[in-house]
Amino acid sequence: MSSATEVMRPEEVPQPKQYGKPGGFLRHTNIITGTVSGIVLAAIAYLVAGALRPPPSDENALALPVGLDPQFAAMYIGWTIGLLLGIGAFDGPLRWFLGHDLTHEDAEYMAGAGQGKWRYFKYTTDHKVVGKQYLVMSLVLLGVGGTLAMMIRTELGITWMEVFNPNVYNSIIGTHGMVMVIAMIIVVSGPIGNFIVPIMIGARDMAFPRLNALSFWLLFAAVPPLVSSLFLGGIRDGWSVYQPLNSQAPVGMLGYQTTIIVFAFSTGIASVNLITTIVTMRARGMTWSRVPIFVYGIIGSSVMGLIWFPMFQYSQILSWSDRVLQSNFFNPAQGGSVWLYENLFWLLGHPEVYVIVIPGTAALMELTTVFVRKPLFSYKLAIAGIFGVVGISGIVWAHHMYMTGFAPSANYPFMLSTELISIPFGFLVLVLLGTIWRGKVWTRLPMMAVYAVVWNKVVGGITGVWLSDVPVDQYMHGSMFVVAHFHFMLMGAALFSAIAAIAYWFPKMTGRYLNERIGSIGFWVAFAGFQLCFGSMFFAGLQGMPRRVLQFDNAFNLSNWLSTIGAYTIGIGTVIFLYAIITSWRGGQTAPMNPWAAQTLEWTVPNPVPLENFKVLPVVTTDPYNYGVPDPYASQVADVGDETSQKVSVS
Amino acid sequence: MSTAAADPVLSPTTGEPVAVVARRNRLGIWLCIVSDAAGTVSLLIAYAYLWSLNVNGGWAPKKGAWAPDWLFWAIVLGMVVACALLWWGVKSVFAGHREGLVVAATLSSLLLLAMFILQIWQLATFPFDISESSYTSATFWLALSNAFHLSLGSLLVLAVVNRTRAGKIGVDNPFQSRLVAMWITWLCAAALLGAIFTTAMKDSPNTDPPAFQSFTQPHTS
Repeated sequence: MSSATEVMRPEEVPQPKQYGKPGGFLRHTNIITGTVSGIVLAAIAYLVAGALRPPPSDENALALPVGLDPQFAAMYIGWTIGLLLGIGAFDGPLRWFLGHDLTHEDAEYMAGAGQGKWRYFKYTTDHKVVGKQYLVMSLVLLGVGGTLAMMIRTELGITWMEVFNPNVYNSIIGTHGMVMVIAMIIVVSGPIGNFIVPIMIGARDMAFPRLNALSFWLLFAAVPPLVSSLFLGGIRDGWSVYQPLNSQAPVGMLGYQTTIIVFAFSTGIASVNLITTIVTMRARGMTWSRVPIFVYGIIGSSVMGLIWFPMFQYSQILSWSDRVLQSNFFNPAQGGSVWLYENLFWLLGHPEVYVIVIPGTAALMELTTVFVRKPLFSYKLAIAGIFGVVGISGIVWAHHMYMTGFAPSANYPFMLSTELISIPFGFLVLVLLGTIWRGKVWTRLPMMAVYAVVWNKVVGGITGVWLSDVPVDQYMHGSMFVVAHFHFMLMGAALFSAIAAIAYWFPKMTGRYLNERIGSIGFWVAFAGFQLCFGSMFFAGLQGMPRRVLQFDNAFNLSNWLSTIGAYTIGIGTVIFLYAIITSWRGGQTAPMNPWAAQTLEWTVPNPVPLENFKVLPVVTTDPYNYGVPDPYASQVADVGDETSQKVSVS
Repeated sequence: MSTAAADPVLSPTTGEPVAVVARRNRLGIWLCIVSDAAGTVSLLIAYAYLWSLNVNGGWAPKKGAWAPDWLFWAIVLGMVVACALLWWGVKSVFAGHREGLVVAATLSSLLLLAMFILQIWQLATFPFDISESSYTSATFWLALSNAFHLSLGSLLVLAVVNRTRAGKIGVDNPFQSRLVAMWITWLCAAALLGAIFTTAMKDSPNTDPPAFQSFTQPHTS
């Protein structure tokens, strides 16, 4: 599908003055210096804020910040700035300010050239390194969130005694929710978006490599505050932490707020970078009708993140202000409104579902064409589906607030818009089914995940339509039915899509095949456990069991026992799958350049993918799904990788 | 505007013409503006929402002292002049006069710095505490957001001065100055919106808000 074009190599261009050795200050920074610097600055900030805090007195007690909030707020700010200082994130802006522009050698050093594995622990700008950093981070977060989920199910499954005290249990639930939301947001867009998308569109790197590194290290900075909150009173009010509970919670809430504020910066920067890369750096000939559908999925997800994440961020900035500065955004006694919080929160809180699901679904469409050897069924319908979801996602948020008393007259318009979004979302499922229809399916692990996800999406989607109905929601709101529904979407659709995407692109990211046998066992065990766990939860919800409770009536015992057995089965399957990933990454069977005989550009570069990806930038001459159609330009296809590249010709 | 250079200058890190890199950066700046605008809109939503609800009659400042309007508008005026100066400098450098940009950006950065100081002074001398009412909280945050914008903006324009004097921005590579000017233009728009809201939306239209303390279920017979 491609030929090649010549461009000037950077090393042939006149270079600015080289200040010191290539890389400069970044030669001395890494994860250790960053962490130490973060801890030191956090400690200093905590102590200084404590020293500056005026002693409370009868006269001014009401006007002063209360408790330890200012100190912990200073500590979290200190940690974030300290980590970024210590990892070298401010080096780029400072050099730009001073006019000390990067040379090509500087840029190569920053991209990790010649630094071996150590480059994964530094402020490295190469998109492939950042992609792998995201992959490991998302696996770690899934591990943490999954462990917390096991603890929740242990408590609910052992119905004859309390395993955790209620506060600890509530904290586990809140932390599980937030960790998993972060993990699911990044699990496809982070690793695959960063590693694969630039190659897929024929670019040498992301548009803004230093911002790419910044987005990862901001994420890295965001995680410890969230974990620390567990030890500072916890997040006891669910992942949404409605006001006024948010303001009344222990100081650990500041960790939650810091995490969201910092993570929103990370996501915003990543979104700017991905959109700019895709819009401006596509290979010659890659018109919008030749862009792989996965790339459209990444654009859709990034657009939603870019617009809606700041609202979410401000829900927490203003909550932080209420706690630390004693402002009154959410305190009704002083003119604040808890509905304001809920609106700002759900303005992202609901689109976030699509931020998570769309890239995974697009990845499934991408790989389905490869494994059924057919063009994507109705490429334009798929694009319409993605952007239909993106467009409508902004007008559905208040269906989370039917029962709050906020604008009852708006319930029915929001019911309509929420049901409306199922139409473009349905397009995506139809495109998947249409692509599979009458195809000669090559049933490998990624393709198995497609079947699983279609099922999960149908269940999650239909129950979502039910819940969007005001009368049904009035009955089901706050029940385990809701929990089962959103797990079918966020876990059943998104996480299993992520497994498919990782399995599909694993050979390109690591140069090795994912162990198909062990991976498949893990996958199907997890899938069976998932159906048992959340299928049973639907019944608990239908019976009337409320969510976020520690003690419940004996009538719900059976469904909870089954759910817990299912959860442990998921855990076993996940551990098996993780074992497959780790062992395959370390010593799996070496994969050729294009193991699936796919037609997109990432499969035309050798393994391991060289720095800057392409020796000569490719020119795209056909669309990426020409399976079964002879390539009219086949004879003109040139090497687009290095000498070991081979022409890919599939029919 | 068009570049005056005949031979394209190439980026030392990617080997592409700097004009190509500039187009890429321009989209990046537009997207940053969209993202920052979403944050600013969140603050404006908060302001307007609390103003319209007047929950518990708690919108107005307790001592009845509203923030003086003139200071918001003075800051906006200063920012607009600084922005116009910067655009004039950008036009100059695109027309082949590097010195024009140096002078204009220097004046612009000084003016932005002055507005930053004025903004801090406003924050320090508000006739109310942040905790007094929902109006005081929302107004405080609009001003704080503008202070953050101004600090960032003045640093960026100062960097333009520095880079232009160092020859990194010049007649053959003027693009970064335009990117900074785009960003400053957005900051002016954000400040203007803040000034409009704080001027036009003082007394809440909800003059008879329910007070939670006295709320009772309506009688049914």
